[in-house]
Amino acid sequence: MEKTLLLKAEIREHTGSRHAAKVRKQGRIPAIVYGHKQEPVAISLNAHNLIEGLHHGHRLMEVQIGRKQEKMLIKDIQYDYLGRDIIHVDLMRVDVTETVKVTVPIELKGTAKGTHEGGIIEGHAAHLEVECKVTNIPESIVVSVKDLDVGDSLHVGDIELPDGVKLVSPPDIVLVTCSLVAAAKSTEEVEEEMPAAPEVITEVKEAEEASSEETK
Amino acid sequence: MAMMPKRVKYRKSQRGRMKGNASRSNFVAFGEYGLQALESRWISARNIEAGRVAATHFLHREGKVYLRIFPNKPVSAKPLETRMGKGKGETGFWVARVRSGMIMFEIGGVSENVAKQAMVRVSHKMPIRCRFVRRRHSL
Repeated sequence: MEKTLLLKAEIREHTGSRHAAKVRKQGRIPAIVYGHKQEPVAISLNAHNLIEGLHHGHRLMEVQIGRKQEKMLIKDIQYDYLGRDIIHVDLMRVDVTETVKVTVPIELKGTAKGTHEGGIIEGHAAHLEVECKVTNIPESIVVSVKDLDVGDSLHVGDIELPDGVKLVSPPDIVLVTCSLVAAAKSTEEVEEEMPAAPEVITEVKEAEEASSEETK
Repeated sequence: MAMMPKRVKYRKSQRGRMKGNASRSNFVAFGEYGLQALESRWISARNIEAGRVAATHFLHREGKVYLRIFPNKPVSAKPLETRMGKGKGETGFWVARVRSGMIMFEIGGVSENVAKQAMVRVSHKMPIRCRFVRRRHSL
């Protein structure tokens, strides 16, 4: 995948939450640029252009700061408390020939055998950490769950990665399982499991102390 | 009795205040889809149980429902026709403190359309405004 997006950045002279909020009000997103042992630079990017680029799957972008144009990789994105709007972006300076460690989403494909026997597919990991060339970052890693039967599981080590992509995550991490769905408990069953009143730790301790004093 | 803790340190608690938004438990972590609170409020054990029953009944043993909130705060109430005073009342019910942005319910193992319909039914049982959210796959 080689997708680059050109974005014009403005240097932020003032940093801090109040100034960042002002930047956001102007329709821009505060960002930070770091990497290659250079000083970090606080910048802001046009919110519309950045969001559009992200929707199209761009992770690598050409950022113009003043007259200088540099290749950068999106390292991190911060969202607001509802997870709706982007509030900050981390950009890392990269070379085209460089290998980087990135997290790539996992995409489950197909209908598992086990689902016909009453099982459900449960994804236990949503991302994988991989190492690859900057220009070769996969958009997602497709995992076929077609052959999964009830009780089967897929581990990270079982996945076939695209050419030029190396696994960084531990291979023994469980990725997907196919398990039978336990019958949902009725309200009566839930109530039976719950105690009539919870045990109060402090009162139990006091009672124990009192009884031990009596025996003395 | 509805959901409540098995052990507590103290029998009664003070009311407390809920300031700000959720800074944790604000993303879908277990299932594929979730129901996010858009307001801060106490959610009673009865509300949570009603939501769980609504979701599981709609799903017909198809997917898996995850409860992300638990009623661990006791709320005391005075019996009817009791004069004021004579100390704090006994625990009447249990609540979960939900701040806006928190994911309250999650569903996994079903299609988005089915999960959405189930979550609509759950949201009708909630005393607050909620919204349907997906697990965020990108960065």
